[in-house]
Amino acid sequence: MSRYIARAAIRGANMIVGEAEQMVTSAVEDLGADTPVAFTNTAYYLPVILGFTGKEVTTLGQLPEVVDHAKKLLVDAPAKSLWLPYLGETLDAGAATLLAFEAMEGVRFARGQQPEPIQGLNLTGTSFTSPDSNGGARGDGGGFANGPIDDIQLRAWGIQLVDGRMPGFAAIVGAARSNEAAVSIVRELQKRNILVFLSGNVNGRSIIHQLMEEGVEMGYDTYIVPFGTDTISAIYALGFATRSALTFGGMTGGAVRDILLYNKYRVFAFVLALGEVDDLKYAAAAGAINYGFPVIADTLIPQILPTGVTTYEHVVSMPFDDIEGATDAEKARRMIQRCMEVRGVKVKITDVPIPVPYGSAFEGERVRKADLRVEFGGSKAHAFEYLRMVDTDQVEDGRITVVGPDFADLPEGGAMNLGIVIEVAGRKMQEDFEPVLERQVHYFVNGASGIQHVGQRDITWVRFSKGAVDKGFSIKNIGDILYARYHGEFGAIVDKVQVTLYTDPAEFEKWLGRARDAYQQRNVRLADMVDESVEEFYSCTLCQSFAPNHVCVVSPERLGLCGAYNWLDCKASYQINPTGPNQPIPKGIPLDKDLGIWQGSNAFAYQNTHQTVERVSLYSIMQDPMTACGCFECIAIIIPEANGVMVVSREDPSMTPAGMTFSTLAGVCGGGIQTPGMMGMGKYYLLSKKFISAEGGLKRVVWMSSFLKDTMAEDLKAVCEREGDPELLDKIADERYVTTVDELLPFLEEHGHPALAMESIL
Amino acid sequence: MPVALPEVKETWSGKIVEVTLGAGPDKGGTRGRTVTVGGETALPFLHFEGQIPNRPVIAAEVSDRAPEDWSSLLTEAWGGVLEDPASWAARAEELGAEVIALSLDSAHPERGDTGAKEARATVRKVLEATSLPLIIYGPGQIDKDNEVLVAAAEEAKGERVALGNCEEKNYRTIVAAALANDQAVIAKTPIDVNLAKQLNVLIGDMGLARDRIIMDPTTGALGYGIEYTYSVMERVRLAALTGDAALQEPLLVTAGYEAWRAKEARTSEGVPAQWGDWNQRGLLWEANTSVTLLGTGADILVLRHPETISLVKYAVDELMKGV
Repeated sequence: MSRYIARAAIRGANMIVGEAEQMVTSAVEDLGADTPVAFTNTAYYLPVILGFTGKEVTTLGQLPEVVDHAKKLLVDAPAKSLWLPYLGETLDAGAATLLAFEAMEGVRFARGQQPEPIQGLNLTGTSFTSPDSNGGARGDGGGFANGPIDDIQLRAWGIQLVDGRMPGFAAIVGAARSNEAAVSIVRELQKRNILVFLSGNVNGRSIIHQLMEEGVEMGYDTYIVPFGTDTISAIYALGFATRSALTFGGMTGGAVRDILLYNKYRVFAFVLALGEVDDLKYAAAAGAINYGFPVIADTLIPQILPTGVTTYEHVVSMPFDDIEGATDAEKARRMIQRCMEVRGVKVKITDVPIPVPYGSAFEGERVRKADLRVEFGGSKAHAFEYLRMVDTDQVEDGRITVVGPDFADLPEGGAMNLGIVIEVAGRKMQEDFEPVLERQVHYFVNGASGIQHVGQRDITWVRFSKGAVDKGFSIKNIGDILYARYHGEFGAIVDKVQVTLYTDPAEFEKWLGRARDAYQQRNVRLADMVDESVEEFYSCTLCQSFAPNHVCVVSPERLGLCGAYNWLDCKASYQINPTGPNQPIPKGIPLDKDLGIWQGSNAFAYQNTHQTVERVSLYSIMQDPMTACGCFECIAIIIPEANGVMVVSREDPSMTPAGMTFSTLAGVCGGGIQTPGMMGMGKYYLLSKKFISAEGGLKRVVWMSSFLKDTMAEDLKAVCEREGDPELLDKIADERYVTTVDELLPFLEEHGHPALAMESIL
Repeated sequence: MPVALPEVKETWSGKIVEVTLGAGPDKGGTRGRTVTVGGETALPFLHFEGQIPNRPVIAAEVSDRAPEDWSSLLTEAWGGVLEDPASWAARAEELGAEVIALSLDSAHPERGDTGAKEARATVRKVLEATSLPLIIYGPGQIDKDNEVLVAAAEEAKGERVALGNCEEKNYRTIVAAALANDQAVIAKTPIDVNLAKQLNVLIGDMGLARDRIIMDPTTGALGYGIEYTYSVMERVRLAALTGDAALQEPLLVTAGYEAWRAKEARTSEGVPAQWGDWNQRGLLWEANTSVTLLGTGADILVLRHPETISLVKYAVDELMKGV
């Protein structure tokens, strides 16, 4: 906590509590203790006081107690030499300030001084407060600020805040640098469906005046609510927050901790302090921080960056003049973007703004030569895609740039180079998620009608059909798709996305080099990631809808048996959907390192197979092998006669030495049943050092579908070398030579297969 | 020689949450009767294994617009009351229904497109016409559900109605409305234990208490996938009784809706003579669907035919007698 801010806030709190005391005392003298005190059209009394103290204030006579409560929260401002942590005192001072503010507004209501008259202000929408409390006096060029929000509107907006249609509210205090800035700030917030509350002034000038001068409509209908032109009226924003917790959180008055936490985690609000920040504003800001609402100032003030009471930074200074941007409007846009990051407000995008239809129905479309307008990659050109994580200040969310020429000059069916570079930033983003997200380019781009995408990394190949280009599809639209989809699908981990599409030859080469370096680093990283190096595995229960008692335990060295989910995918999926099918499994105590059994994975399997599977080993086919749902890419099964294991892939329709084809075996292997000697697996598990390592690994494999041998030839060769038997792959039979056990044994003997000499598998 | 019988009794560690629908004047409502379901610590009707404190209840389906796609057996059995949800609800109460499941179907864009105002009026009218607790369903179209259920929740404030359906894509607004107006919700998922569990967790994360959630696991009718739905419900209940807190909500099934979609119940045309008397068949189709689902843990059955209400109630009476 900045000592400067603590001093200022505590000074401000002391001052305003004193002022409130005087105001309450004289009001009780003038009007009598029984004079009613009420905010209009609310069942929550004075809501902040109700929330903090549980007191249901209905008369002036109850306010002195409230002021006393506030006084007890105050300490003297810390001396310059005092080096205690003063966070607690400052927050208490903030709370005292809020109580004082609300008591003062209570008095003003009792005296008929609220809502505040503002010459010429006419609010749109049904305002239940203003006409009533001032005898319905409106018009004649006269007008009133809104004052507190009534319960009906609270409920209407509250539901939207709770269900997520409305991300949060911005409490703006003060006046913007210029009218242009004021309008831009408000428009940027409106665009994001964020509720705007206005109060305060700088030297008598308020953002309310600025918006009035610019003809901006204010009122419930436009989601812009002017509370009043002094700082004290900002209390209505916190009253709104308190009542949200009481209404939607089911909390009761006085449950202050619950109310504040509710707001921290569920109401995405923040304070935007425009213009000079005086002691009173610091004190009010300290009050807001109690609710977990951070403060962003457009002037140079000390910052409080560590997290704690708020989810991220507490106080952020963004001097308006220093913000990049040619116009005040542009600066305002960047400032609001920063506000979103500080409070963790997510952007929601529902439509993909491109000139062709978009949807998963178009994913499988092919663009054939006859329909081809232009292609990127393939045999005549080169294309790559590269997603990288960068610091948040290096991404401008939504920026899509094409660097280099368009394809207009190319003949029909022509080809050109294209580099797709996606830069993302996010609080929860991790470098490990880069490949997970990058792989999505394929699905995202393919969703556009008339566009085809195949491959990945630097073997990407994208085709645009004539039809799509006729409708106006351009290179930039690839960026539009990616921007919308990354926000839509990965909003939980990605806060900002920018896409750059390189066709310029020099830039293309430069970025291709960078991309290749990154691919190389990722390969190394993946190779280094072993089961021993992580604390958690992940579960996958996606298939329980049809295999109720099956759980995949996914570790870095054993991917899901469907091949679709590796450990990183599961980790990312958990970040995106914390209640979803991929849950972390703390490994716990290792029970058997050779078989790959941990206490944690056993416990998880037991509970999630509904008490049917008690033990599961990750590295063995013979002892407690993992169950299978039915989605496996391959089936491994022992051939006792050959003292080995065969692996048949889904693509292979032929007879196997086990006497059954893949589809017959699948019927036996699936359904979540633990069958020693048989298991389903993802084909890349073959390459893992942990592939049935308890039984000897790849050297146990005596037969393998040629499909696997062919499609994974390079990788398998590398494994054979790693296992110390470079010729191993040739010693393994396949359906081209062997389809029965009787044929298998002579083949193995002839080729000198190592399994024959290994310890008995049974 | 005496033969020792093995002890086959199971003991369970879990308990189904008790959910009360309806609030009487003591709780700020106007209901003459309230209904509490759940509370079981044993599989359905195995009274010797644990407690079954509350009997399963029958809700009668009432729509705010005369149904066009209902079998003539149903429309004839109900007669003129179908034109007026208040009279319909009152009649259902006379026939022994214990809950009214009011569907605000007229809000559907293609079936009347009525709005919040009409929804309030209907809810008010039905509340006044019956002393029973209410379940209130939207038309099943996201935007309109949000519009009319929020209004209905406000109108019925204090009455502890159940709002439905909360589904994965569309639960937040309905849960928010329930939170703001102290109502319960029905969480519907498509025949999948994990999705059911997930939705309960998500609703719980929003702060709605467990005793205000009822699950609809989606069921099939007799002959139309009931085995599948039966085993899904069975797994839900087994998981709940073995201690999975996220699945311990009472179960609601729309047996009437499902059964009356079946050809056997709906029509007498072009069916074999051996199928027998149509009316009898229709009734039994609904009743058998219901009784089967009672056997796998249904706590609330939403029914359609006036006569099945008493038939199924009779079955519940007998099953609750124990051994």
